[in-house]
Amino acid sequence: MSKIHVAGLTKSFGSNEVLKGLDVDVAEGEVVCVIGPSGSGKSTFLRCLNKLEDITGGKVVVDGFDLTDPKVDLDKVRQHIGMVFQHFNLFPHMSVLENIMLAPVELKKLSRPQARNKALELLERVGLASKADARPAQLSGGQKQRVAIARALAMSPDIMLFDEATSALDPEMVGEVLQVIRDLAAEGMTMVVVTHEMGFAREVSDRVIFMADGLIVEEGSPESVFGAPRQPRTRDFLAKVL
Amino acid sequence: MNPQELFPLHILQRAGRRLLALTGLLAVLALVFGPPASAAVQAPHSATGKTYVIGTDTTFAPFEFRQGGELVGIDMDLLRAIAEKQGFKVEIQSLGFDAALQALQSDQVDGVIAGMSITDERRQVFDFSEPYFDSGVQMAVAETNTDISSYEDLKGKTVAVKRGSEGEAFAKSIAGKYGFTVKPLDQSATMYDDVKAGNSVAVFDDYPVLAYGIAQNNGLKAVTEKERGSSYGFAVNKGNNPELVQAFNTGLAELKASGEYQQILDKYLAAPESAGKSTFWELLTQSLPALLKGLVLTLFATGLSIVIALILGVGFGFLKVSRRVWLRGIATAYVAIFRGTPLLVQAFFFYFGLPQLTGRPMDVLTAGVLTLSLNAGAYMTEIVRGGVQSVDPGQMEASRSLGLGYFKSMQKVVIPQAVKIMTPSFINQFVITLKDSSLLAVIGFAELTYQGQQIYASNFRTGETLLIVAALYFVVITVLIKLSNILDKRFNK
Ligand SMILES: Nc1ncnc2c1ncn2[C@@H]1O[C@H](COP(=O)(O)OP(=O)(O)OP(=O)(O)O)[C@@H](O)[C@H]1O
Ligand SMILES: [Mg+2]
Repeated sequence: MSKIHVAGLTKSFGSNEVLKGLDVDVAEGEVVCVIGPSGSGKSTFLRCLNKLEDITGGKVVVDGFDLTDPKVDLDKVRQHIGMVFQHFNLFPHMSVLENIMLAPVELKKLSRPQARNKALELLERVGLASKADARPAQLSGGQKQRVAIARALAMSPDIMLFDEATSALDPEMVGEVLQVIRDLAAEGMTMVVVTHEMGFAREVSDRVIFMADGLIVEEGSPESVFGAPRQPRTRDFLAKVL
Repeated sequence: MNPQELFPLHILQRAGRRLLALTGLLAVLALVFGPPASAAVQAPHSATGKTYVIGTDTTFAPFEFRQGGELVGIDMDLLRAIAEKQGFKVEIQSLGFDAALQALQSDQVDGVIAGMSITDERRQVFDFSEPYFDSGVQMAVAETNTDISSYEDLKGKTVAVKRGSEGEAFAKSIAGKYGFTVKPLDQSATMYDDVKAGNSVAVFDDYPVLAYGIAQNNGLKAVTEKERGSSYGFAVNKGNNPELVQAFNTGLAELKASGEYQQILDKYLAAPESAGKSTFWELLTQSLPALLKGLVLTLFATGLSIVIALILGVGFGFLKVSRRVWLRGIATAYVAIFRGTPLLVQAFFFYFGLPQLTGRPMDVLTAGVLTLSLNAGAYMTEIVRGGVQSVDPGQMEASRSLGLGYFKSMQKVVIPQAVKIMTPSFINQFVITLKDSSLLAVIGFAELTYQGQQIYASNFRTGETLLIVAALYFVVITVLIKLSNILDKRFNK
């Protein structure tokens, strides 16, 4: 059974139809990269996977929970889905440690000491153990994004969603963040990664989805999509970005 | 009713502590409806040894007014002297003129002495003593004015009168004959200022009020003889306490015979040479106790109102950012009504209008706090809405994506950031509400400005008194702003 099952997903903002019927299945442990031109609906698609956006039509089933069913406890489902944003969205009024501990403590998944240990462990993992007591404002962009990843991992999710996690970073910091994502992939985390880093997508993904105008134009293994794109739109896009 | 009497300091302090316990307005309501007036004493055959509760006006210089917190004046001195001579005791309640008459009719007080004219209408419901004072209307002009010395000189000029007074009636009755215009004003002090400022050339006022003002160096001089007017009497409820009227009459006759009566009158009405103008320093020390009392009430009412406004502001503020249209509608209507109407109109509405609609009287503190808190609440609502909306929506999304619910996310993520943004606006609103509380003087709320008005109503030193009042506001507000900024820095670093 697939970890994420999307069928006929449509999404409109008012009269503007942004997603025009998407069908996607992501298997457990699979890493799917989503690429495509700006405004094609990549972020919107990703945000439908944890229902940060209301779903206009179709079905989204995550971990067996149908997100379009109003009876489903979204907060419960979201605890299993970590999300990393382009602009980090760290909580500026909390220390790095508090950012990571917030969800496990508030949702009573862990006691405070347990949550603290877990947070320190995660910080170690993203290479920021020394920044535990810093405020987000004192960190560089790359450090912020690594903290954001640690925060998303604090609830021990089995799915991670990344929305252009490196787009807001200075080039020299991109590598450190990609390395963390690479490690997660190696550990077998199920991930949907929206990215503009084509080299990274090629290297890390099991499957690449190319979106344009709210539709999936082409999908397949990174070798086929990057090496031998079949659709003219894919070729056009790759020619521009590569 | 005069709120000074209802809210002595210890009650304010008690209420202040309850405020901390957040029982708020209800507690105050309970306190307000608390103090009962003493019941009438059943008529014995002699007044000797009895204690009588006597109602009077709040400020009607020179008959009753406050000096250093103490009620003094012709009425007060006469009554006390008579009581002493006749061997009875009096407990004076400064209720205001209308309230005193109502209290007398319902036997909540035993007698009333309030510079009250003896009229046929009043004779039907009250028993009066012998007249103890003959009043009448007199004309006065600015001290420096040498052009006007008789009614004939008024041709083409404007004169000031007190609205609804005998002075107004008299001035109107001769205005046509002498060809002058009558300008009615609300307070004696305002009329005198109007004459000194040259807006009117003369004033027609009750002779004792005028004489007292002149004795206080109000800058005027009387230029005509007084016109024969009404006589003042002491009153009891019809058929009640005849021995008290008897004792009053006997005592009055004795005082007249001994010359004490004239001494008391002279004390308040004698020519200015004898009085001599007190220094600014004396004015300050004399007025400070009353002003500080007013300041305490100002701070209490402002503090209580701000707390209620904060609760209202948070409640309605969150309705305003709600996703439900009708919830937003409720909050929008509330804000529109209270921002879209003047505070003064709101105060009049709650104090005078609402009781007429509901049939339930509302005391002045409740009405005042209600006005201030609903008004400030509307502004707080906008501050809260603005604060919450200025927090990056990504913060809410990040929190929701972690699995935290809407209210948890608000509480842990959005509100702490919003509060930081809102704090300067909160401080600002606090200062505005403190200043707005001065408007409540118009409904007789005994806060700082009201106390100031009471003081210059009896000493006519408008400018200096207002300077002291302004200085008090300035000091308190400056200190409060400094304190708030320190707290802001400490908690919102
Ligand atoms: N909240 C919103 N309200 C209205 N329109 C929106 C909203 N969010 C996105 N859109 C529109 O939906 C379309 C798809 O936006 P989306 O952000 O999903 O694109 P994207 O592929 O992520 O682009 P980018 O690469 O620039 O991030 C765009 O036309 C955008 O203007
Ligand atoms: Mg996007």
